[in-house]
Amino acid sequence: MLQEVIAFKNTKCECGHQNPVGTVLCEACGRPLEEEDRESTEVLEMRYDGMARRSQRANPNIIDRIWNFFSSVKIAVYLIILTLIGSMLGTIFPQESTFLNIDPSTYYKDTYGTWGQIYYKLGLTHTYESWWFILLLVMIGASLVICSLDRVLPLYKALSKQKILKHMQFLTRQRVVYQGPIEGTAEDWVKQVSAPIKKKGYRVYIDGNALLAEKYRFSRWGPYVIHIGLIIFLLAVLARGLPGMAMDQHIGFPEGEIKHIPDTSYYLKNEKFTVEFYSEDEMPEEFRNKGKTLPKLFSTQATLYQCTADCDDPTKEPKLKEVAKHNIKVNDPLEYEGLKIYQFDYDMTPTLRAVSPSLVDNKTGKDLGKFKLDIKNPQRIYTVGDYTLELKEKYNDFSIDENGRPVTKTPNPNAPAFLFLIKGPDLPADGMQYFYFPKEIDKVRFQQDAINAKLNGGKPPLELDVNGMGNVDISMSTSYLNIRVDKVMPFIWIGASIVMLGLVLGFYWQHRRIWLRIDNGVLTLGAHTNKNWFGIRREISAILKHMNLDVDEKSLDNGGKHE
Amino acid sequence: MGKSRKKIQIIILLLIVALGGYAIVSQVWGSGGKPTEGSKAPDFELLGLDGKAHNLDEYKGKAIVLNFWGTWCGPCVKEMPALQAQWEKWKDKDVVVVGINAGEDKMAVENFVNNMNISFPVLLDPNKEAIAKYGISPLPTTFFVSKDGKINKIHLGQLDLATLDKQIEELVKS
Repeated sequence: MLQEVIAFKNTKCECGHQNPVGTVLCEACGRPLEEEDRESTEVLEMRYDGMARRSQRANPNIIDRIWNFFSSVKIAVYLIILTLIGSMLGTIFPQESTFLNIDPSTYYKDTYGTWGQIYYKLGLTHTYESWWFILLLVMIGASLVICSLDRVLPLYKALSKQKILKHMQFLTRQRVVYQGPIEGTAEDWVKQVSAPIKKKGYRVYIDGNALLAEKYRFSRWGPYVIHIGLIIFLLAVLARGLPGMAMDQHIGFPEGEIKHIPDTSYYLKNEKFTVEFYSEDEMPEEFRNKGKTLPKLFSTQATLYQCTADCDDPTKEPKLKEVAKHNIKVNDPLEYEGLKIYQFDYDMTPTLRAVSPSLVDNKTGKDLGKFKLDIKNPQRIYTVGDYTLELKEKYNDFSIDENGRPVTKTPNPNAPAFLFLIKGPDLPADGMQYFYFPKEIDKVRFQQDAINAKLNGGKPPLELDVNGMGNVDISMSTSYLNIRVDKVMPFIWIGASIVMLGLVLGFYWQHRRIWLRIDNGVLTLGAHTNKNWFGIRREISAILKHMNLDVDEKSLDNGGKHE
Repeated sequence: MGKSRKKIQIIILLLIVALGGYAIVSQVWGSGGKPTEGSKAPDFELLGLDGKAHNLDEYKGKAIVLNFWGTWCGPCVKEMPALQAQWEKWKDKDVVVVGINAGEDKMAVENFVNNMNISFPVLLDPNKEAIAKYGISPLPTTFFVSKDGKINKIHLGQLDLATLDKQIEELVKS
């Protein structure tokens, strides 16, 4: 083909029409343009109605060459095969993105051995985010756009300005052909035959002794509609990588706490988390009496807030507005403006949030008043009656280091401890030091009384005491929620629907055309469709029967490949 | 088949290159990855112990030693005197040492800083947002950020005075 294009042949047909380079059949009369082709009696190649594709042109320059590369169906097939192979490679071991918390540089080696390490080194652990995979997708997209443009425009032109009288060779070399004598004048016969053809749903165009009948042309656009759908689909997939288009994170929300959702203006409060377990007799046989607990239902009563002001200023408290409330259960997420919050996991370890201890006179046992001590964000100074309590030190996870000094082991309030300097009546002028462990278990474990006795040279005159659980604020559990945003999903659906529409257009209808001409009392009929040849032969046989011509369906078959 | 067709061809090809290039660049060097040596240091907006908000921009034009630490982390505590010494040595030479505390409350950090006599700026990250942006896993981790805002070196684990001095010298030269 390229050689012919370079040879720059005379492409003017004998009917007088000047055809573009690369044309196979004259755009006007349908006569084959190749000398060689004209001598043949084979069935004609009717692809794109014999029109030149846009990319076929004389003297291609660099842009034409790039264009031609992408307009090639062969290249498209290779690209698709490469993408398929790439996708397959990505499924050998789990992708990095499927894990919440791993170090991929060691995980693959430890779990899958040498192959795992090779897999990681090759970068296949993030196949679908790799530059080459995305490049392949982009190239498929380019191929889709350019292939479509290259074919749809010439085809549209060919179909919208069809000449009714076709060259004899064009008719006799169709796959469905009939030739035979007729009675009466040519004009009358053509007029008569148009009635039964119209009845079959064809649009009929007459030009003297020639006729063109056509139906379901729209089915020719099916493949291009599919391409448009695929392009939208691909663009949506690529857009997913853009910031803010998609999010997927897992966050723990302790009960009763308002927590910020990173990268959004939203805050969420876990009002109450509940979990229900299956009782022993509800469990299947194999789980019974094994001490296993199976959750039946877990749900989080959640309130979603949106920040309205002072959101990024850490010196101020953000101003929040309640925007949604929902009881989140498994498969029943909270949804708000594209944000979806799913129940994911839970942790039933209780955490101490605040205590309200009373200051008690050790001699009289008198309650001097109480104050609220927030574990996470305590105040520097508390005032209780005539006394002031200055918070000197705070340890979240109290421990003693190798030098015998108090330290905090972790940032989590597992064993909170506070050192107060208490001043007031009947106390030494520089105050009294008092170590306080809000958790009863730590009080015993770290010997609070012994520490305080040592600090004060004997039993201290005052002490802090929590009177009952009513003065303790505990977060019973932490609910882990999966927060997802997927703004591109609607476009994926739109793309997929357009693809479906294109498939329906192309599959359920066929573009059928019948040409006929009468020369000296002899009828020559040729017909073309893109599939279901049986159907079109049957229609023609029925039409001819109306004209008192008894033609067997099978005898209309002029050979060629059938599909 | 004139000039307009060629123009359309060029426009379509350029559009594909632009869209495709953007997709590849944003996906490969985009939000998902942790910052690495050579990449731009992510910005943050955190509350300092001085009660003011601080971000990376205000240190523009200065070399930054960004140290992520916690009071419970032994090696972090051990390297604090070295950081303090370097801060005193370099603060007049356009080098700033910034400590970002990983998720602890103000009081714990304040007490610690007072006890250790630390005078370089210390910022609080209660929601571990900067920690997440910088992809910190072990503490301490120190980022050496050059004057143009690029990450020059990432050091995992404890720093001693000599290494720190060498790193800062390299940073200032870069």
